Order: sequence, then structure tokens, then C-alpha cells
Amino acid sequence: MSFLALTLLAPLLSGLTILALRRAPEALALAGTVLGLIGAVGLFIAASDGTVEAVLPGLPDMPLRLVATPLTAVLALVVATVAVFVLTYATGYMAGDPEKARFFGTMLLFVTAMQGLVLAGDWIMLLAAWEMIGFASYLLIGFWHGRAGVASAATRAFLYTRSADLGLYLGAFLLIGVAGTSEISATLATTGAPALIAGLLMLVAAMGKSAQVPLQDWLQRAMAGPTPVSALLHSATLVAAGAILLIRTAPMMPGGALLAIGIVGGLTAVITGLIALAERDLKRLLAASTASQYGLMLVAIGAGVPIAALLHLIAHAAIKSSLFLGAGVFQHDREGTGLDTLAGAGRARPGIFTGFAIAALALAGIPPLAAFFSKDAIIAAALASTAAPWLLPLALAGSVLTGTYMGRALNVLWTGEAGPARTPVPFMAIGMGVLVALAAGLGFSFGALEHVLGAQIEKPGWIVPAMGLAVALGGLALGWFMAPARLLGPLLAPAQNGFTVAGGMDGLILRPSLSIAAACEAFEQRLLAAQVGLIRNLGLGTARLADRGDDTLFAFSIWIGQQSLRLGQDTRSIDTNFIDAAIFGLVRRIVEAGARARHLQSGLIHRELALTVIGIGLIVIVLLTAPHYF
Amino acid sequence: MPLLTIATFLPILGGLALIALPVRSARVAHGLSITVTGLVFLITLAIWSRGIVPGGFAQVEEIAWIPAIGAAYRLGLDGLSLPLVLLTSLLFLLSAIYSARISERVPSYVVLMLMLETASLGSFMALDGLLFYVFFEVSLVGMYFMIAGWGYEDRQRAALMFFLYTLLGSLPLLLAIIGLYLSSGTFDMRAWIDAPPLAGLGAMLALIAMLFTFAVKIPAFPVHTWLPAAHVQAPTAGSVILAGVMLKFGTYGLVRFALQMTPETFTRAGVVILAFGVFSALYGAFAALAQSDLKKMIAYTSVNHMGYVVMGVAVAALASDPAIRVVALDGAALQMISHGLVTGALFFLVGMLQDRAHIRDMGDFGGLLGRVPWLGWAFVVSAFASLGLPGLAHFPAEFQIFLATLNTQPWAVVAIIAIVVTAGLYLRAIAAVFLGEPNEKWAAMPDLGRREMLVIVPLLFLTVLVGVAPSWLLNMIHTTMASLSF
Repeated sequence: MSFLALTLLAPLLSGLTILALRRAPEALALAGTVLGLIGAVGLFIAASDGTVEAVLPGLPDMPLRLVATPLTAVLALVVATVAVFVLTYATGYMAGDPEKARFFGTMLLFVTAMQGLVLAGDWIMLLAAWEMIGFASYLLIGFWHGRAGVASAATRAFLYTRSADLGLYLGAFLLIGVAGTSEISATLATTGAPALIAGLLMLVAAMGKSAQVPLQDWLQRAMAGPTPVSALLHSATLVAAGAILLIRTAPMMPGGALLAIGIVGGLTAVITGLIALAERDLKRLLAASTASQYGLMLVAIGAGVPIAALLHLIAHAAIKSSLFLGAGVFQHDREGTGLDTLAGAGRARPGIFTGFAIAALALAGIPPLAAFFSKDAIIAAALASTAAPWLLPLALAGSVLTGTYMGRALNVLWTGEAGPARTPVPFMAIGMGVLVALAAGLGFSFGALEHVLGAQIEKPGWIVPAMGLAVALGGLALGWFMAPARLLGPLLAPAQNGFTVAGGMDGLILRPSLSIAAACEAFEQRLLAAQVGLIRNLGLGTARLADRGDDTLFAFSIWIGQQSLRLGQDTRSIDTNFIDAAIFGLVRRIVEAGARARHLQSGLIHRELALTVIGIGLIVIVLLTAPHYF
Repeated sequence: MPLLTIATFLPILGGLALIALPVRSARVAHGLSITVTGLVFLITLAIWSRGIVPGGFAQVEEIAWIPAIGAAYRLGLDGLSLPLVLLTSLLFLLSAIYSARISERVPSYVVLMLMLETASLGSFMALDGLLFYVFFEVSLVGMYFMIAGWGYEDRQRAALMFFLYTLLGSLPLLLAIIGLYLSSGTFDMRAWIDAPPLAGLGAMLALIAMLFTFAVKIPAFPVHTWLPAAHVQAPTAGSVILAGVMLKFGTYGLVRFALQMTPETFTRAGVVILAFGVFSALYGAFAALAQSDLKKMIAYTSVNHMGYVVMGVAVAALASDPAIRVVALDGAALQMISHGLVTGALFFLVGMLQDRAHIRDMGDFGGLLGRVPWLGWAFVVSAFASLGLPGLAHFPAEFQIFLATLNTQPWAVVAIIAIVVTAGLYLRAIAAVFLGEPNEKWAAMPDLGRREMLVIVPLLFLTVLVGVAPSWLLNMIHTTMASLSF
């Protein structure tokens, strides 16, 4: 319980303190994340013994819940760990930025939201955290908001993910309605058609957040923010949210939903792998690679082995944050991330390059580095799945591509002029170093982890590691020795365009929305004109009819008619003092009426009736005198 | 002590006192306005502390008025009206503080504002049909003069349009009230609610009449066209009161009159009402997307947000499961309050922008976030609240409305598309006005002053509070909604 509070509140409070005080952001941020990490470690130990739970007030009959099971606690540990080292790196990276208080404050809110998502025990909490992550990443991608192109990148990221979030909203509503409770663990018992529909809706939401095809485009454009943001966003937070949602709801998913998840993941692994290979910018290459790796995780979930996806998520978190942090150092040196600009940048910083290379080899799946184990688990799952004819080729192709684009990146960074020697970057090196060490060694903890999670993966025979090693080495060799233009052939141009079909999301969603909006606006003008005409005719018509009617109605109708006519014409300028005259003139009349009312208390007329008449009279006077002031 | 009566009439008495004063300088008038609205706010807090009761009205104050026809002066509160009363007194206080910058014909302005406050509080607390109608109409007159006297360029036309529209719109309500009176022999709204007097065709006609009146006020498609015109031309405080308080007359009436007094007929017409709500929500969102005038854009989002309220009320009528019904009503009632807080803040902020730049078109700004960070961040937070971000005021309300909708009439949940459209339009507005390269034209724009902070900070605080911990407010609403019999 107290560890639960520490995990969430330490980053939250330090973030808010930074935003409020605007002082010592680095120290506060590190303190907050380190305390959060201590909390997460404690939580993990506590959760291994038994579920830790907290219930908070929420909506009536739907309280908010936080729950730490071994699964959610290990995810919280991943988030907290990556956060500590990315922020350590950021203290160096953001040293000269005048707005760094805002940066660190927002980063901590981002981490808090992610911990909220990971530990959510009910759908409202999960949904809230899910959207807060989107908001925090909007603020972080848009951090340098004065620069050209930044606003559109942030806007695009938020809109893409929010559109897909509708899937999560609807899925959650459906599950809550069917189960009659908002507690996630209880709703996962749903079966039949609701489970299938909810499962597919969750997939849509996950596709948006984890940048799966065809919603992959926003992630590559989201590079407008500072590099530590990308490192956090691609490894353990925003993008991870999609896969985490599917891992957590996997027990509910029926076969049809699993197949859809596997196919989407497999296609994404291949398509975004090709995009990464065709990239001419290192950060964009890494971004496409993120989508591709999450595709592989979805393959594992689709194959019915979510634990393999979890292992790959953990390995990928350490690897991808290392790669981004390395790219950030090179970016500082060369003031750009284009592959042409970065040629040879690795030679100038052998230490950083070594770290980058270890992470790259780990991602490709070279033993004994972390992703070797998780990728093997994914290939084994695909092989054992009933959908193996679909999933296995896609998983293998995705793995070959991983090796290829990482090989190419390494080749570019190493080949070329080293340039002048560089000043050391201690904070960045420490932050990155630890993450690289994790990327290298995490694989050895997977056995123990499986034990804690109570889900042992069957150790595959020699065929799977052999396949894994072959595709990894083959891919790396292809990428190192052959230019992408030759590898991709006719696919090069479409891959460079991100395989957009029919103008991409802009053509499919944005432009139609704007046309609907324009049509509404045009309709609005016609509606307004029609209604003004209607009121005018109504007023004039009544006036004519009332010609023979009673006097008050007559006057009223005439007045309506007059006003209606005026509405259609241009209004002439009026005496601006008319309202003063109206109010103060009214007062005189009230005083006079009051004087008369005193005489009326003779008993002949009921006092209340007199007051009523005055009240109504007041309204009538206001209504009737208005025209005279125009 | 009859606190309800004191709260209702203190403002207008303050206005009369101002008229009686020999010296009516701007300073005195503004001071009086802030004092009176502040006092009223404190009184409503005291009313809140007295609490409400489930299954009826609390704190009823009753005086015989015209016993012969069963009309009496009756005020009272329940969990639907109490939050609206608190919202009203808060928004009038903040409007009075904001309006301290007004220098034209101040005494008249203050008198009108105070009269509007009396009418608004009276409308929410009246338990007598006739009394309600009088307050309802008086508010209209006040707002008419407000727009006509202190509005912008094309104010005469907008004011006239507002007045004719809502005047003609409210006549059917009078007929419905007369119908309810004739079949029950009293104007006591409690009697009408406890034993709905109309049935069959009479009930249907009364419902249609009430729906027409309230649809104009809410406003719902297709009778919403007065709203953008009125908002664009109204002075800032007028826009805040119009959107924050007066639109709620429509939704309050929808529940209090249409749903509670003709319940069976309402359920029969439920699908049609729901369809209007859904269409309004979508139409308002898309129409807002087409605007480049900030004020007009926010005005159209009101059509969208109030469409959700209509959906919630209709779903409550249609739901067969009592639990879902309460969720829908809780959401609809909370949405009224959230909209008042968030849209109030947005209109204040656009007003502050207009005070500085004298324009409202988003294309004429750019990069203001670095120039006026307080104004900018306040706008960003309010905009995200308006687009339904969790942790801010609209989320709990919209969550409940959509949850109930999907589980009652699944087709109607198509309106949820509007939350993406509103996200798009607000992000576009933020990008155009506050992000990007700074526009040199506004290099000297000052950030929020102390008076403006005093206005905006309480609204933002409440927006966050309702979003993070809505239970203090929802419990009050829930008490009544869970015991509502219809």
C-alpha cells in the first residue's frame, strides 16, 4: 500500500513542485524518480507475495482502483527504471535550456500517468491514465513550441491516438455494461460476442498508441520533441501503453480477436521494418523500428503467449531508450539526425558508439543480449500457434528486417570522417550506460521473472534459436554490406513515403472531416436565413390577423412584426443611452406605481393581486417601451 | 432564516439601492456589484451547508400569493438545482470582478447584471410554475439589454435576434404550464412532479411545447442559430452568464419539467429526443470545426456539450435498468456544471484576449504562449477540459453519459465521434493562437493582471477538482437522482 503510494506520488509531487517552484528541476526530478523506483521495487517484492490493492473514491458505485499483481508490478518497475536513467541523461541534455523546469515537470507528470495506467485496477482509472499519457506526450512533443512544425507534430500525435482511443472508450463501456462493474479483473471473465467485440475495440485503441499499421505515421513525426522525450515515449510509456493494454486483456480475448491482433502485429513488423530500412534520418529510423518491434509483441499476444510479448517489451524498453540516448549524443555533436550528417559520428565517440552498438545487436537478437531471448520466445510462440502459417513468416521477416536496419545504422555511424574530438558528456553517458547494461544483461533475469509471474515459457528445441540467430546475423550482414536501394528495389519509393494509401490518414479522415464541417457551416447560413424569414412572416402574419383582435395582442403582434422587419434590415445606429433611460425611467414608474399601490390597500382589491398586476405590468412596460428607444 | 429568498432578491435589492444612491460613480457601482454578488455567493454556500434530502425538495420557503388559483411563492432545492445555484452565484461573482474594467454606463450595467442574477437564481429555485415562468422571462429581458448595450459591432441585430427567438420560444412553455395548471388546479411544481396531472394527448402536446421552449434555450439543433450570433456580439461577462448559467435553464427545464412532469410521454418520445441530442452533439462539433472566430467556435461547442446533456436525459428515460438510469442522470447533471465552469473560463479567456488585441480571429495571432504564458496555459487547460480530458471537469460527466448510452441505445453512441472532432478543433485553435513562431504584432501584449487571475484561477481550480475528485459534487447530485421517481 505505501509502496503503491510512493510509486505514484513521488513522481507526481516532485513534478508539481518543479512546476510550482521552477527551481532546481534536475535535483527534484531525480529525487522524484529515484523514490518512485524505490517504491516500484518494494511494490514488486510485495506483489510477488500477494496482490496489493487500493480503492479510491471515484464515480458513484464505480470507485477507482489501483492494483499491483506480479504483472503490473513488473511493468511499474520497468517504467520507473527507464524514467530514472532517461532523466539522468536529460540533466545533461537539457542543461542549457531556459525552460527546463517545464520540461522536467512535464516528464514527471508523464511518468506518473504511465504508472497510473500500469497499476490501474479499474477501467476508469485506466482510461484516465491512458488519455493523460496522450496529453503529456502532446506537451512534450510540443515542448519547443516556438519552432516551425512542432505544433503540427504534437497535434497529430494527440489526434491520431485520440481517434483510436474511441476503441478503448467503447470497449470499456461494453465490458462495464456486461459485467456490471468497472473492475478490470472482473470484466475479463466476459465471454462470447461481447468479448470479441470488446477485444477488437481494444485492438483499435492499441493500434493507435503502439503505432500499428495503418496508424503508424504519427510516431515518426513525433520526433519534434527533445531526445529524452523520444527515449521515454518509445521505450516504456506512450507506445508501450497499447501493448500493455493487450497483454492485460489477453485472458479475455477469444480466438478471432487473437488472430486479428497477430495479423496486425505481423504486418506492422514487416511494413514498418521496410520503412525503417528506407529512412534517411536516424531518429525516424528508430521510430519506425519501435512500431516494428511492437508489431512483434502483438504477434506473440496473437499467438496466445502474452508473456513472450511482456519479455520483449521489457527488453525493448532498455534497448530502445539506449539507442535514442545514443542518437541524442550524436545529434548534439552534429546538430542533426540525418544519416548523411551523422556519417562517421560514432568514430568520434567510441564509448557512446559501443553502447549504441551493443543495444543495436541486442535488438537484432544476438545472444546473449536481452532481445535474443524474447525474440526466440516470440518465434517459438508463432511456430506453436494454430495460426503459424500466417504468423511465423511475418515474425521471421520482421526479425530479418530488424537486423538489416540496425546493421545499416551501425554502418553509417562508423563509416566516414570522425571529425574533431568531443568534450565528454558525463550525465548522458551514465544514463545511457546503465540502460545499455540492462539491454545486454536483462535476458538472464527472464527465467526468474517467468517464475514470479507464474507463466513458464516452454524452452524451445534447437530449431528456434537457430532460426533466430540465422535471421539476426543474416539481417545484420545484409544491412551492413548492402545499400537499402538495392535491398528494397521497387519498394524503396513507397517505403520512403511510409506506404501511404489514398493520402494516408489525412486523406481518409482529416479532409472528410473538414468537408463535413464546411457543409455544416454552409447549411448553418441557410438555416439562419430561413429562420429569420420565418419569424418575420410569423410576426407580420399575426399582426394582420390580430387586426380584429384584442388591443394588447394587437400591439404586441405589431411590435413583433416591426422588430422582425428590422431584423432583416440593417440596424441603424441608436442612442447608446437608451438603456439607462429604460432602467431609470422604469424606476420612476415603479415609484409612481408604488404610490398608487398604497391607495389600493383599501381592501377592495386583494393586495396580492395588485402586486401581481404590477409585476406583469413591469414586464409589459419593458417590452412595450423598448421600441421607443430605438 | 429564509436564505433562499434572501439569495434570490439580494441582487435586485442591491440594484435598487444603486439606483437610489445620489452618486453613482463607476467605482461605487462596481464595488457594490462585487459586494452584493460576493454576499450572495456566501449565502449560497450557507444554503449548501444546510444540505438536501433524497426524494424531494429541501429548504422549502412558501408564502401564499394568489390562493384563489393555487399560485404561491415557493422556493426549494434538490440535488439538481443546488449545484446549479452554486454555479450561478460563483459565475456572477466572477463576472462582477471581471467587469470592473467596464467604464461605459456602469450603473445600468451593474443593475442589469444584478437583475439577471435574481432571475437566474429564482429560475433554479422556484417551485411554482408561474413564478418559474416570471423569472425565466425576466432573465431574457436582462440579457437582451446586456447584449444590445454593451456588445460588439453588430450587437443590435444579435440582441434582437436573441430576444425574438427566445421570446417566441418561451410562449409554448406558458401554454404547457397553463395546461398543467388546468388539469391539476395548482401551480405547485411539487404536485405536478409527484402526480403528473396530464396523460395521453394532453401530455404529448405539453411535452412538445416544453421541448420546443427548452430546445431553443439549450440550444439544440435546429433552433440553436441564435446562440453563435448572440455570443459573438455579447460582452464577455454576458457570454459567460449566457453560456454558463442561462443555457442551463434549458437543460434544467428538460429534467425538471419535461422529464419529471410528463414522464411516461417523455419515455415514449425518448428515441426522438435522443436522436436530436445525438445530432446536436455531432452538428455542434462539426460546425465549431468550421469556425475561425474563437468566440463563435466556443459557442458552437456549447451546442455540442449540451447535446450530450440531452442524450443523458433521454437515455435515462429509455433505460430499463435503474442503475443505468441513475448513471445517465448523474452524468447529465454533472455535465451542466462542468460546462458552466469550463465554458465560463473559455469565454473569460477569449474576452481577455480580445481586450488586448481587439480581434478574435485565430489566424491573426500566433506564438502567444511564450508572450503571455499565464493566459496561454489557462487556455490550454480549459481547452483540454472542454475536449474531455480525464482529470478535468467534463470527463466524469461524459464518461457516465456515454457509458449509459452504449448500454441502453447502442446506436446513439455514434455521438462519441464528436470528442475527436472537438479535440481537433481545440488543438487547431491552440496551435494557431499560442504555438508556432511568435507574431511580432503582439510583442507588447501584457500577461494576465491580478483582477484577471482572480477570475480565472478559481474556475481552473474547480475544473481540476471536479475532474480529479468529483465525489463531493456527484454525491449531492446522486442523492436526488437515485431517488427520482418517474
